[in-house]
Amino acid sequence: MGPLIPNHLIPIEWNSIIAIIIGIAFGFVLEASGFSSSRKLAGVFYGYDFAVLKVFFTAAIVSVIGLYYMDYLGYLDITQLYVHPTYLWAAIIGGVIMGVGFVAGGFCPGTSLCAVAIGKLDAWVYVGGILLGIFMFSELFNVIEPIYDGYFLGNITLIDSFDWNPYWFIFIFSIIAIVAFAVADMVRKKVKKVFY
Amino acid sequence: MDIKNQTNSHVYWNPYFGGFILGIIIIFTFYVTGRGLGASGAMKSSVVTLVDTVAPTHAENNAYYSTFISEDDSPMNTWLVYEALGVLIGAFISGGLNGRIRWRIQHSPKITSQRRLVFALLGGILFGLGAQIARGCTSGAALSGMAVLSTGGFITMLAIFGSAYATAYFFRKNWI
Amino acid sequence: MIKKQTAKILAFRYKILALILVILAGGLVLLPKYQKNEGIKPEQLLANAISLERYIATDQIAHKLINQDPSFILVDVREEASFKKYSLPNAINIPLKKILDAESGAFLNQNQFDVVFFSNDNFEADQAWMLCNRLDYKNLRVLKGGINSWFKTIINPPKPTEDMPEEAHNLYTARKAASMFFGVAYPDQVQTDPLEKTQTAPKQIITVKKKKKAAEGGC
Repeated sequence: MGPLIPNHLIPIEWNSIIAIIIGIAFGFVLEASGFSSSRKLAGVFYGYDFAVLKVFFTAAIVSVIGLYYMDYLGYLDITQLYVHPTYLWAAIIGGVIMGVGFVAGGFCPGTSLCAVAIGKLDAWVYVGGILLGIFMFSELFNVIEPIYDGYFLGNITLIDSFDWNPYWFIFIFSIIAIVAFAVADMVRKKVKKVFY
Repeated sequence: MDIKNQTNSHVYWNPYFGGFILGIIIIFTFYVTGRGLGASGAMKSSVVTLVDTVAPTHAENNAYYSTFISEDDSPMNTWLVYEALGVLIGAFISGGLNGRIRWRIQHSPKITSQRRLVFALLGGILFGLGAQIARGCTSGAALSGMAVLSTGGFITMLAIFGSAYATAYFFRKNWI
Repeated sequence: MIKKQTAKILAFRYKILALILVILAGGLVLLPKYQKNEGIKPEQLLANAISLERYIATDQIAHKLINQDPSFILVDVREEASFKKYSLPNAINIPLKKILDAESGAFLNQNQFDVVFFSNDNFEADQAWMLCNRLDYKNLRVLKGGINSWFKTIINPPKPTEDMPEEAHNLYTARKAASMFFGVAYPDQVQTDPLEKTQTAPKQIITVKKKKKAAEGGC
């Protein structure tokens, strides 16, 4: 029963090798979906290209449905998976800052790595910026720490915090996504084409 | 028209197909390792390593760096760093297969390369800062978080896209 | 023209794909829910229950204690009061009602030591054994007969009569030696040096907590 490495079904030594393999697949898919192009990424905010929305939500839904099916069939213990911890205000403030950075720079860290690999100079500068940003964060850590460590709600899921039925939530979530895809296509037809 | 087609041809995968494969990769990652994908963690490790080599005492005194430094192990020896190396390789393979590898600065024809680079740097700084505060970026917090229905993941995702849409108007000249 | 046709085909495909997605998501809602069977399967539990490994005899325990065998821990599942009154050397006390507590898990759910449950007789120890087996803890044993048997066999072994076979006499000598180790004085042995009771310090049990998840995730 999965997850395999935490349950010692695969020796821990394989972890790094598996990491590289997963990384290769991840990078390949991101690049092949066009995420190495900042103008394509930014398109989602101006309505001329919704690739980010489509890829992102399709991936989220496919993975969540798949994980819950695997949990249901007993291949995977969903309670053993790493759940991103919730620090309420850190998540909101960090997210807002990242959003501005996203529009300004046109990449997020994963996609910028892809763009770095295919020689986009703006991505090199962007990665430099990220490193600088992390450096600034660490230097200012004493100032930021109350936000960073405050409002900790635990490693919770939506099921814990709202007491929702996960299956119904996934169902509604996928319908929302499909509606979003349809709306995205309609918007794209309305918006002036931008070539990049 | 021909020229336009050449420069604008969408040689990328269908986004739904890409998303589907990405979803399978996330499932596989969780199934094998019990954790999600990530990207900015590798950059954090790089910064920590860099500071640790240049100014070791400073790194040890800083409350943030010191959590990632241990005596017997390099901060680079983490899962996310290997994964990020894989991302570079994978993107290089994909770009190579489709002939997309070349040195260039991609920007809207309305702005200069210089302006693009300045904004890229600015955006990078903001994203690096934000990713540390929120403990993850779009892949680590939002995408992997959403896959396990993490509350924090959803909040981060909404905050990123909300603020991006809210501020998109001010940056429109850069893109359209 | 061609473009329009491909667009039409694609639009149709997307509808099918969307439908599949909805059906899959709906399937999760509609699938019959069943209580997840935590722990091991009934067949496995039965196999463990009838296994000969389940019980350990008092003689074996005495032998191990004398040799200071580090590979096992004794767990007294009686109430704390009885534990304080008398217990086996180096035993730790986890009353039956606390057996599912988190701190008990550190002792019981590990792969380093054999865990030997005991109580006054078999009953409570067996219950503890059953519960822990159900949780898929490993290396569980029960002291056969519990403390009563311990008294009968080790502390106060029945003296064999002359007409009994030699094994019985050997067993008696071994048990007598053991009981002396545990501090029982025999009148016929007093002339030998008065057993200096080496009060061994309570065994330090260092348990390595099973790592649930080492992943420090996120970016």
